[in-house]
Amino acid sequence: MSLVQMENVIKTYKVGDVEVQALGGINLSLEEGKFISFIGPSGSGKTTLLNLVGCLDKPTQGTITIMGTDTGTMDRKTAARFRGENIGFIFQNFNLIPVLTVYENVEYPLVIVRRVPKENREQQVMQVLESVGMADQRNKYPNQLSGGQKQRVAVARALVVEPKIILADEPTANLDHATAYKVIHLMHELKRVFNTTFIFATHDPRIVEEAEIVYTIEDGCIVDSRKQSNSSKERK
Amino acid sequence: MNILKIAFRNLLRHKRRTVLTAALISIGVMMVILFGGIGKSFTSEVVGIMTSSSLGDLQIHRMGYVSSIDNLPLNMYIPEQALTKVEALLNGNPDVAAFSERVRFGGMISNFSQTTNMRITAVLPEKESATCPGLPTRIKEGNTDPVSFVKPGQIVIPENIAMAMQLKVGSDVVLIATNKDGSVNGLNLQVAGISENIQGPGGKDGFIHMEDANTLLRIEGREISEITVKIKNFEQLDKVAAALTGELSKMINQKSGKPMLELHTWQQLSPFSSIANMIGLLLITVRIVLLFIVIVSILNVMIMSVYERVGEIGTIAAIGTLPSKILTLFLTEGLVLGFFSALAGIILSVATLLIMAFVKIPISFGRMQILISPHIPYTEIILSLAGVLIVSALAALQPAVKASRMEPVDALRHV
Repeated sequence: MSLVQMENVIKTYKVGDVEVQALGGINLSLEEGKFISFIGPSGSGKTTLLNLVGCLDKPTQGTITIMGTDTGTMDRKTAARFRGENIGFIFQNFNLIPVLTVYENVEYPLVIVRRVPKENREQQVMQVLESVGMADQRNKYPNQLSGGQKQRVAVARALVVEPKIILADEPTANLDHATAYKVIHLMHELKRVFNTTFIFATHDPRIVEEAEIVYTIEDGCIVDSRKQSNSSKERK
Repeated sequence: MNILKIAFRNLLRHKRRTVLTAALISIGVMMVILFGGIGKSFTSEVVGIMTSSSLGDLQIHRMGYVSSIDNLPLNMYIPEQALTKVEALLNGNPDVAAFSERVRFGGMISNFSQTTNMRITAVLPEKESATCPGLPTRIKEGNTDPVSFVKPGQIVIPENIAMAMQLKVGSDVVLIATNKDGSVNGLNLQVAGISENIQGPGGKDGFIHMEDANTLLRIEGREISEITVKIKNFEQLDKVAAALTGELSKMINQKSGKPMLELHTWQQLSPFSSIANMIGLLLITVRIVLLFIVIVSILNVMIMSVYERVGEIGTIAAIGTLPSKILTLFLTEGLVLGFFSALAGIILSVATLLIMAFVKIPISFGRMQILISPHIPYTEIILSLAGVLIVSALAALQPAVKASRMEPVDALRHV
């Protein structure tokens, strides 16, 4: 069974009186444990597609099934719970909570979303912070970190609940070349260790290079898909 | 990490804004508690002086006497038969601490060269002191013994008459009065004491012994104009008054077929009760102003807070925070701000009241000298805290609901 199944998914927005079609009949099947990249020009529908897979938005038509659950019929509360349990997010602007330390940002989903008891939390948080190389920065606040460090913390926050899917929208857009490479490499490594499916919307050719499956979107439609075997793991 | 900790940190993001809002709420709470403490202290002090010096807690008169009290009518006295029944009633009432019979009338006092009018209250000093224990303490010169502050042949005069007529303790005076038959009589008396200007218009109230009143007014048997009553528990005033009124209403005037006697509480006899009511009304007004301050302040802070953190709300919603939890996060912020602001206001106002109670601030009220020594108004403290918390929650509710209803996809787009 596919991890994510999209059947004839259409998404339209109303901008004033005008209806704009962001996605026009997407049919897609995404497998578990893959490094998947959606590429395409700005406004092609990459972010809209990620929002639909992340249960942040609902399709206008069609069905989206994630791990056997039709997410299009979920109410707000059910969708929030589903996201908390199954989906992690990495944002272009990192989106860390500024009043929480590195440790607390990573701990947040365990406390507020998962309600994990305190005695079990520390080990989980420290393990994931160590895996992204931020354990020694645990007491710092986001404004004391560099862009790369912030994105590592964001990756740790997404990973800490051990989601099936991590959605990353332009995760390297605000990072310099060297840092972006490190973050991509880190995510690839984490995918291997945790068997998490990473789904990117990106322009970054380095991510595209690392991806196992690359979908090209134009004008809300998938115009190309290809499998790659030249990821860093294979290159090594 | 918990919701309270997050709420605290979010409030401290904008320290100046939070401190200003908290200061506004704290000042509002201080106003309520200080006004409550000082107002109640002032009221109870004045009421205490009036009831313990002259009014007593309750007074019993012949029906219609109080409406004519300015004339101190001689033909509306309580006759001996009724007086005996009332005395038996009061003696048998466990709520009554003491009572004192009085004869009140208007007269002229002369020092043989000058004459002026006076309002005279004739008393039995021992009973009067038991009913109005503050009376002997307000005698500034002369005999202050509660049992014998005025003996037969003596008079206690207020200080403004003593000053105007150049009278001292031991001076001889003549008291002239008209009795109910219309004949004018005079009595030689000696000044036994000079009191503060305790009551009555112009402070012209003096005291003589009951025996002298009977002689001067040629009263045969026992007739009095009023009975002043002190009750054991002042808080039970209305209840005791209602019970006694019920008993007194059984004593019917044979001619009119209506109750012979009437009972009034101090509030019904003193214009100060209107001032006390006004103080209570002002306190309610201050409370309402406080609630408005809280609602506007918290609402303003929380609306700003939600508006500034739309993107953050989108993030926490995206990572799985339930709408109800987002609502709780923002509600907690409003409640934390309200609670700690109120707490600061309570601490500051209690400290101020304790200092005032220690210093004891003297103020003049009419002819009274009052020492303001406020108690801690626990009721005001509890009401203020509860009011601030409830209003804080209500004020934070609208922004919190707005935050919880945001669509994460829209909130994440917000820059």
